[in-house]
Amino acid sequence: MNKLKTNATVFIQPLLAVIVGLLVGTIAIMLSGESVIVTYQEMWDGAFGNLYFLTNTLERAIPIILAGLGVAFAFRAGFFNLGAEGQLVMGAVTTAIVTVYLPFQGLLNMVISIIAGMLIAGLYSFLAGWMEQRFQINLLISTLLLNYIAVLFAGYLVSEPFRDTSSAGGVPQTVMVDEASRLPKLLTGMNLHYGFVIAIILAIVIAFIMKRTTFGYEVRMLGQNVFFAQYGGINRKKIMFTSLLISGMLAGLAGSVEVLGIHYRFIEGALSNPQFAWTGLMAALLANSNPIGTTVVAIFLAALDTGSLGVERNTDVPNSISGIIQAVLILFISAKFTMNFLNQRKKEGK
Amino acid sequence: MLLELKDITKKYGDFKANDQVSFSLNKQEIHAIVGENGAGKTTLMRMLYGMEKPTSGDIFINGKKQNIDNPNIAIELGIGMVHQHFMLFPPFTIAENVVFHHEPKKGWRYDRKKAADEVAQLAEKFGMKINPLDIAGDAPVGIQQRVEILKVLYQGADVIILDEPTAVLTPLEVKELLVSLRELVKMGKSIILITHKLNEVMEIADRVTVLRDGKVTGTLTTKDTNPEELSRLMVGRELKNNPLPSIEKGNEILSIKNIEMTSKKSGKTLLDDVTLQVRQGEIVGIAGVSGNGQSELIQAITGLAPVNKGSVTLNGADMTNRSVKQIRDQGLSHIPEDRYLWGAAKEANLVDNMMMTDYAKPAFQKAGVLKLKEIRRYVAESVKKFNVKTTSIDTSAQFLSGGNLQKLIAAREIQKNTPFLLAAEPTRGVDIGAMEFIHEQLIEKRNNGDAVLLISSELSEILALSDRVFVMYEGKIVGEFDHQNASEEKLSILMAGGNNE
Ligand SMILES: Nc1ncnc2c1ncn2[C@@H]1O[C@H](COP(=O)(O)OP(=O)(O)OP(=O)(O)O)[C@@H](O)[C@H]1O
Ligand SMILES: [Mg+2]
Repeated sequence: MNKLKTNATVFIQPLLAVIVGLLVGTIAIMLSGESVIVTYQEMWDGAFGNLYFLTNTLERAIPIILAGLGVAFAFRAGFFNLGAEGQLVMGAVTTAIVTVYLPFQGLLNMVISIIAGMLIAGLYSFLAGWMEQRFQINLLISTLLLNYIAVLFAGYLVSEPFRDTSSAGGVPQTVMVDEASRLPKLLTGMNLHYGFVIAIILAIVIAFIMKRTTFGYEVRMLGQNVFFAQYGGINRKKIMFTSLLISGMLAGLAGSVEVLGIHYRFIEGALSNPQFAWTGLMAALLANSNPIGTTVVAIFLAALDTGSLGVERNTDVPNSISGIIQAVLILFISAKFTMNFLNQRKKEGK
Repeated sequence: MLLELKDITKKYGDFKANDQVSFSLNKQEIHAIVGENGAGKTTLMRMLYGMEKPTSGDIFINGKKQNIDNPNIAIELGIGMVHQHFMLFPPFTIAENVVFHHEPKKGWRYDRKKAADEVAQLAEKFGMKINPLDIAGDAPVGIQQRVEILKVLYQGADVIILDEPTAVLTPLEVKELLVSLRELVKMGKSIILITHKLNEVMEIADRVTVLRDGKVTGTLTTKDTNPEELSRLMVGRELKNNPLPSIEKGNEILSIKNIEMTSKKSGKTLLDDVTLQVRQGEIVGIAGVSGNGQSELIQAITGLAPVNKGSVTLNGADMTNRSVKQIRDQGLSHIPEDRYLWGAAKEANLVDNMMMTDYAKPAFQKAGVLKLKEIRRYVAESVKKFNVKTTSIDTSAQFLSGGNLQKLIAAREIQKNTPFLLAAEPTRGVDIGAMEFIHEQLIEKRNNGDAVLLISSELSEILALSDRVFVMYEGKIVGEFDHQNASEEKLSILMAGGNNE
């Protein structure tokens, strides 16, 4: 019974956050003078209304889930990886280049370029770990700043050496990936591709690793009390590097599957502008770094985005309605941290 | 009557931590509360101090019913609490810690000088020696405790709640504390004292209330009772004395030769040429006032900090400056001195806490996959065997009472069946029944031919359990006795830096 209870509380907090978010959204809709019911109906339809919209939402959720899983993994081990965006972009640009310029074909090409993307992204996150180990540079700061370097560097790569020069002008981008190396669609005519299957499988695998393996145990214990972990003989350095590596690889995979599944090339800004990585971070935090929870919340956040596009198409409510609801969720996350902090202080009778 | 708790019940889910508890305190009285781990002592006091709300029952202060919703209200009502675990800001000065939250101000700024003066005066008034400008974190535990008490006095408390104040103190510090408490009572304060040490109760308390399983089993006048009656009320049976049978000693399991450790920060020598051996079938005790190198010795043996010189040999292999894991694999188990810092993850459940040093064993994992069923069975059995009071093994460790968490840690390490056990303060904060049990387990481990190094600031524990005793003072071994020759007087003199000639 106790176990049931704790499992339930895992979902209560994000649920509460979502409800309050929707309530605030309601007020915003009322202020813009539209019918609340109609607007939410449109939002629902835009996200899940028919097979096309539903699969669209799930497609949008793919990079959010993967980036979120990455953040969640590092966070579980007690390391705050704010660099998902940079890692995602690094993964994407590596995949886009490798798949076009290395002499492999078809499925093999696809697999190799995805692995290359994940590796580069993983190493990029590893770099932050190395800097903390070597120079005591705070991970929070290094991972955050590495984002800028990655985004600008990828921008340079596609503007200069690897630019697709066949179409003059326009946004800098790489050459198209050939048909045989693309991630196949799950359903013909829909955007949803096999990246979704990969994401779901990974969520389950990570949940299993965390709960059921010795490695997952070490990660969790290190995240909960460094000294206890050290006392028990857990190697902090090893776990830090592996979890940062895995975290970066997951974020990188988010970028790679976007490239091979939907854009078929790396387009400057196409992956950083929609804020996939940050939405993923939000999903991880709302779900308390629980992998399954992160996946569910990521789909919800994706639905918020696609749903508000529907709202914009069919009503006069601006699509920033989704931004408002997301802002409330962010407030909730920070409120959660502040509350924990205050509770701690209150318990101490200060 | 100064203060009265009437029929207080506190439920956590279906579990009653306090069940119809009534308690009263007179002016200038010292009223002790005793009881087994998890009997509900801390819970009762947390309600009085506004950190928890009673499920039912009333609190009267000076005859008036009060709702104490948070500690600020308690402080306004003149109630102050010194917690089981200190809550100081280590990098700040003693004065800053004392005035925290009630800082004297010059205009809108913190008045540093006034704070120091006020704290010095306050300490003077209550006869507590401190230096207001010392850094709190550098001060010995006994001083830190005074700081906690001063903090409460500074807030204007008339009723002072002390939750196991002596658990972490050296015998000398305990004496000083008891003197201070008497002084406080003379100056008009009233005191509630939670403790597991019945001699302290007999020495200082006017009345004593015994709790068992959340219920009051008696409120007695100290003059009219004795430790035997109290322990019967606490545990519901007579306690036995654990004898130390003489047995054959075997090979050296732990051998430390001339180790030295210096502080990286200050360059101070922390361990100075320490040499000692522990053989099979032997409990070796290290006596000493805490802060004289015991923590460093523990870290050197367990691989938590490197030594500069000398060697550590465990079970026949050189383990000098090896990793914790290598040393553990070579046959170390270790009950750490600070259970919250080193010994547990507070948010994790009992299963995770219990598995820390065993999760990699073949019995509990295969190819890196945990065998959850076996693990849960093992944890459930251990919890039962060591009588850890908990509602379920899925509860997180933070909800265990202090002594019950200690029992869980002892269970984890003693059951490992390693050839060597380092037991640092193994019974800190546990009740007399559990202490008896843990002592029994240590002796049994010794009788089975394993080696035990016992580090304890509790002289009675050292004397009762050790085949041989070393005394540590300022990082050095200053004396060695065997079981028959060791006595409290001899050890005390060496512990204080004197010598026996
Ligand atoms: N927040 C909580 N949730 C659930 N159970 C709790 C909580 N706090 C305390 N308990 C339970 O209530 C009981 C009483 O705990 P309490 O801390 O008052 O014991 P105690 O008498 O102070 O013991 P000790 O001597 O070990 O400090 C314990 O069994 C503990 O597990
Ligand atoms: Mg207690």
